[in-house]
Amino acid sequence: MQIESCYLFQGLTRPQIERIESIAKERFIKKGDWLFHEDQKATHIYLLKEGAIELVTKVEDAVDIPISIIRPDNGCLGIGALVEPYLYSLSARCMEDSNLLAIEQVKLQTLMQDDHELGCTIQRNLAQKLLARLKETRREIKIHFMNLVRSITF
Amino acid sequence: MEMEHSNKITLERQGGITVMDIRGDITAFSESFLNEAYKKANDQGATRILLKIDEDTYINSGGIAVLIQILAQTKKNNQIIGITGITDHFKKIFKMVGITKFADIHDSVEEALAAMA
Repeated sequence: MQIESCYLFQGLTRPQIERIESIAKERFIKKGDWLFHEDQKATHIYLLKEGAIELVTKVEDAVDIPISIIRPDNGCLGIGALVEPYLYSLSARCMEDSNLLAIEQVKLQTLMQDDHELGCTIQRNLAQKLLARLKETRREIKIHFMNLVRSITF
Repeated sequence: MEMEHSNKITLERQGGITVMDIRGDITAFSESFLNEAYKKANDQGATRILLKIDEDTYINSGGIAVLIQILAQTKKNNQIIGITGITDHFKKIFKMVGITKFADIHDSVEEALAAMA
């Protein structure tokens, strides 16, 4: 995925994209390796160029609930790096050998503070994404709730 | 703007078994697609249904909830359900959440059709 294709950076100008490109570094991760863990300090945002990364959350230290799969066509993860207290809200496990672009949180925050329009565009895009995820989560809760009701009443 | 997710689901009768071929990741947004396909199968009088899932399909927690919802209906309607096409990764998850109590997991369509005949 190119930086300008990522939803976070939609609407940025070419010079703004180039400033983000200048702080992005290539990273390779092998199948089975963990990119980051839930509640860890969010030091980077990652754009997936090739491969697949699964996002999971742990329940009772034993069960990994599958939340999402990141592929190059929807390939951004680690957005906890954009929101205080800058912690990853999920764990990320590599499902196929993957190539990523790693954008350091501190450097991105500096760019966002230096260029308020860039910062505002990214935060607006992030807010839209979080709202969409909230919608999906609520939809899932409704399904779980009705499953529970039906299991009690049938 | 976020693109709404969709699934392409086709029904095919093979012997006495209705094969429900499901394409696309399975999430909470798959609810209406799966319910519609199941309703069609049910209206056609299906007594044995094979859920054929693509190997590349990702099923998240919302998708698992939707599958459980469908399986609850099939249990109520005394239908026999098989599932095929899922990776070992999802076989473990299905076993963990108890889906295997309601549906048998098969390694291939051929195996499923033979077992469900």
